[in-house]
Amino acid sequence: MTIPSTHLLIQTIILGLLVGGVYALMSSGLTLIFGVMRVINVAHGAFLILAAYLTYWLFQLTGLDPIISIVLTAPVLFLIGWGVQRYVLSRLENPERSSVLVTFALAITMEGLMGTFWKTTIRSVKPEYASEVIKFMTYRIPVTRLIGFGAALLVLLILYIILQRTNLGRAIRATIQDRNAAQLIGVNVQAVSAMTFGIGIATAAVGGSLLSMIYSFNAPSQTDWITRILSIIVLGGMGSLPGAFIAAIILGVMEQLTAVTVTLYWSPIVFYLFLFLTLIIRPQGLMGEIVREKA
Amino acid sequence: MKRILFSNRVWLVIAFIALLVYPLVQRSQYYQHVMIMTMMAAVLSSSWNILGGYAGYTSLGHAAFFGLGGYLVALAHNYYGWHPFVSTWFLAFIVMGVALILGWISLRTHGSAFVVVTIAMVFIFRLVALNLSDITNGARGLTQPRPGWGGVQWSPEFIKVPFHYIMLLLLCLTIFVSWRIRQSKFGLGLIAIREDEGKAEAVGINTMLYKVLAFGISAYFMGVAGGIYSYFFTYIDPQFIFDVFTGVTMVLIAILGGRGTLWGPVLGAFIMEPLGNWLIGTFGGTQIHLTIFGGILLGVMLFMPQGILPTITNEIKRRAKARTVQVQS
Repeated sequence: MTIPSTHLLIQTIILGLLVGGVYALMSSGLTLIFGVMRVINVAHGAFLILAAYLTYWLFQLTGLDPIISIVLTAPVLFLIGWGVQRYVLSRLENPERSSVLVTFALAITMEGLMGTFWKTTIRSVKPEYASEVIKFMTYRIPVTRLIGFGAALLVLLILYIILQRTNLGRAIRATIQDRNAAQLIGVNVQAVSAMTFGIGIATAAVGGSLLSMIYSFNAPSQTDWITRILSIIVLGGMGSLPGAFIAAIILGVMEQLTAVTVTLYWSPIVFYLFLFLTLIIRPQGLMGEIVREKA
Repeated sequence: MKRILFSNRVWLVIAFIALLVYPLVQRSQYYQHVMIMTMMAAVLSSSWNILGGYAGYTSLGHAAFFGLGGYLVALAHNYYGWHPFVSTWFLAFIVMGVALILGWISLRTHGSAFVVVTIAMVFIFRLVALNLSDITNGARGLTQPRPGWGGVQWSPEFIKVPFHYIMLLLLCLTIFVSWRIRQSKFGLGLIAIREDEGKAEAVGINTMLYKVLAFGISAYFMGVAGGIYSYFFTYIDPQFIFDVFTGVTMVLIAILGGRGTLWGPVLGAFIMEPLGNWLIGTFGGTQIHLTIFGGILLGVMLFMPQGILPTITNEIKRRAKARTVQVQS
């Protein structure tokens, strides 16, 4: 264990915040889907990797910038997500109990397919600005991380506006609060669920594009990502967007700090240990409400 | 009713004798290997079923205890020379102790949150095993001497036979304990928790104690199986033994056969494990077997959510009912 200088400490915290923003984006779709449908989408990590591969593909074939390719990948993933909810998950008799296994099955099916198409070589997208660094005062900030953080905040803002200002958003919030009551006042819960799933997966498209720039990936790495973002939403309180945001920032910063003070190898453990410790004190997560769900 | 019970017992004895003579009749190394792995799958799935089936708490993290058992046995063997066939039964109690503590923490969550916590558990174990490289040898893994007894190494033709019988012993023990639990007040309490935890608590069941105990008992058998497994392969590494996929496979097997039934997980194992071996044998090297495995899991969840055994039992009951109605009219 080494005690870092103040400069290094602040540098690390800045990096942690930037990473946390991207984590927040990745977990926002997941927690939204859970809030509306009580479905925990274990395939979210696989969708992230799928989006990363699509971005990689577009970049290799046409040289399209990873950020711009979001315009193409997000609608595609929206449609896939919409279809998955409409034609697969809506058929489940008891989604709370069985959705985890169904979406897990989906995740490994996707992992297998992606591994077959794109092999298991580790990839990453390197646009021209990939290794550039902005100097702010004396602190060095990688451009891709900054872009990632900015894009994440922008998408979260859009998500917030959709939820607060549009009719769809009101319907989504009503469904989160009380599914039956929402149905009674005329919300088409089936349609809202499919839309939410689509939106949730579309945020994974953005997350995947950012992932492809900042990290390297292959099909099996979906497991690492899904555990990480699942831990975030459990820590934040399942279904709570602000909770997911706070948890993502906390874990992002803590992960970076451990990497600097202890070693890089121990930093992922912090994620899971912090999750366990929090659950001893607050089983419902940071911002979660105590819900007795049957499962 | 008496006749059904009688015939069930007959089948049980036949199956047991068949397993008893299997390695004597089947001399192929490959098929002996498949049978050992099948029985291990049945052990894992049956013991998972004690918590996941009876109490309804879906843990995808039981591979953590499987791996812990494997590591403890391998370490005890390498450092102290304890023979795995003996030590695994005792060391698994340490696994159980760890599970009781982890269960006490993780079982505070319900439903989906619990699933996530158990997945995180596997990752913690894997990362610890990777990073404590002074003890565990890190990513390079642990190697054990070739299996044998009393200084004599078993010959390659004979080597699978002892493993067959110790796994059979473990399988019988697991099924026996699972059956005793099913018959007991403890088992009834677990099923009450599955059906409605709030009401179970209201009628005076100490739900936390019951759940944690079920968690610990199921972890014990995981630990024993992990110990035997690590000796069987004589090599383990963190990536391989602490695998969420192992945890999901046992769940799939239990669901396929019939979650919450005594024999469902065993039936599921005898279907899935040979099938899985065949898939890897045929499509090995590619990732297609993952896709097929996922496809099977999806199919079972969507079209046969109850599993094979309950579906068949219901069908038999329905037919029997139809017959009695016919006789009466």
